[in-house]
Amino acid sequence: MSASLLRLDGVCKDFDLGRGRSLRAVDRVSFEVEKSSICVLLGPSGCGKSTVLRMIAGLEEPSDGQVLLQGQPVDGPGRDRGMVFQAYTSFDWMSVRKNVEFGMRINGISAAERRERAEHFIKLVGLGKFIDAYPTQLSGGMRQRVAIARTLANGPELLLMDEPFGALDAETRWHMQELMIEVANEEQTSMVIVTHDIEEAIFLADKIIFLSSHPGRLKEEIIPEFKIGHRIADKEQIIQLPGYAELERKIMRLMREEGTRE
Amino acid sequence: MSERNLKPTRKRRLLEVRKAVSRRQVILSALAIWGLFFGAWIISSAAGLVNDLLVPAPQQVFSALYELIAERGFIGDIGISIVRVLVAFIMAAVVAVPLGVLMGTFPAIEAFFAPFVSAWRYLPAPSFIPILLMWFGTGEAPKLALLFIGVIFFLITLVMDATKNVRRELIETALTLGANRSITVFNVVLPAVLPDIMVAMRQMLAMTWTYLVIAEIVASTTGIGAMMMRARRFLSTDEILAGILVIGALGLLFDILFAALHRWMFPYLREKR
Ligand SMILES: Nc1ncnc2c1ncn2[C@@H]1O[C@H](COP(=O)(O)OP(=O)(O)OP(=O)(O)O)[C@@H](O)[C@H]1O
Ligand SMILES: [Mg+2]
Repeated sequence: MSASLLRLDGVCKDFDLGRGRSLRAVDRVSFEVEKSSICVLLGPSGCGKSTVLRMIAGLEEPSDGQVLLQGQPVDGPGRDRGMVFQAYTSFDWMSVRKNVEFGMRINGISAAERRERAEHFIKLVGLGKFIDAYPTQLSGGMRQRVAIARTLANGPELLLMDEPFGALDAETRWHMQELMIEVANEEQTSMVIVTHDIEEAIFLADKIIFLSSHPGRLKEEIIPEFKIGHRIADKEQIIQLPGYAELERKIMRLMREEGTRE
Repeated sequence: MSERNLKPTRKRRLLEVRKAVSRRQVILSALAIWGLFFGAWIISSAAGLVNDLLVPAPQQVFSALYELIAERGFIGDIGISIVRVLVAFIMAAVVAVPLGVLMGTFPAIEAFFAPFVSAWRYLPAPSFIPILLMWFGTGEAPKLALLFIGVIFFLITLVMDATKNVRRELIETALTLGANRSITVFNVVLPAVLPDIMVAMRQMLAMTWTYLVIAEIVASTTGIGAMMMRARRFLSTDEILAGILVIGALGLLFDILFAALHRWMFPYLREKR
């Protein structure tokens, strides 16, 4: 359980703003993600969460430091690190089914298996009725669920998600959060999830990486002690556990500090 | 219940910001504006407000058109003009679409071709007519070359810009699903940009017609434009106007065909907008 899958080692990111100026968006961030664990990146808007996630995905190169996946430096994107983006990414010219099959198709999975897995994950995200619809016929939140099903169906080792549930209503969001816990338990998928929702962070995380802003630094690494050893897949249950309220208060305090630091 | 919901509950004003009007209103409006146009024309001809040598009445134009078609082989001219437009346009598209997509996808290819393409875009194609006539003589070649030059550089630029507008997240999604470079280009970028390419082609086809008429008026003995120049020598304004009518009708027809093709190729876009 505690073998390290992913390690960030003094990772920095400078963005070139032109005319010789540059912006340090991420500054010497180091942390580890253990195999089969869920790591949540939390922090105020603009603190560099998406940038860190993009570097893990291999879509952005660190300006300094290293991202190591099973000891090897990350070199570009790959199917082992599936990503769900903050913006909509449905392929509008394909039906929901074809969208979800896309990754498996380009990776040479047989048609029969593709079909079965696609149907399984489309039902899991609650879009069974819309399997043959086009994304343009769906709402924003439904499209986001198509993207989640598409990424899950591709069976990544590490699942990267950038505020995946932002566009969903509360009820669907709980359902999706519970689904993530189930997937992590059943498929042993490791996850790095970006959010700025405290409740979501505590519910999902085996470990919370709290970033501070301008430049994005690691402010604190938090382990929700009260649920070590047993993930809780029921939203109602977790908020009653001893330790939950205390942790929530602690994170709120961290957020406050960040807010008044400007 | 659902049927009642579809009916507007609020009284519609004539001008509503970006609210679709009914199909019936669309057709009636189209008929109305053309009715007004021909009505004004007929009345001013009948009342003698215009010199009927310079502006013959519509009925005279239509009978000239009938005569041209029935007795003087005008269909052949129309056919030649259509073939010229299609051949030149297809040649231009065959080069411009792949090149534009590549330039919009790979900045290295853009860096190489863009300086060349942009410069040519600012050269008015008709300025090449004298040299094209010297190079290619009087056959079909100089006409096709003019249409080709007139259209290709704009088409390349439009296709390139459309390709650049394909959202980065779509490409990155493909990459994180395990797509290699060719899958990304052929299975994601190309289908994503195809509707916009069709729109660009539709616009450029209209431009091809413009260059066709220039080519046929300046340097041709066949085609719709050449017929109009012949008619000028005999002061047959009715035949000139008949030619204009046919060019307009053909342009409209091609536009409608393209729009239908667009709807047929991209059924998923019907829900949008
Ligand atoms: N391509 C870029 N070029 C220049 N600056 C960038 C670029 N991408 C991000 N930044 C800057 O880096 C910082 C971090 O951005 P990032 O998108 O990672 O924040 P975030 O934590 O994901 O914010 P949010 O919660 O609002 O999504 C911001 O200040 C942003 O302006
Ligand atoms: Mg972000």
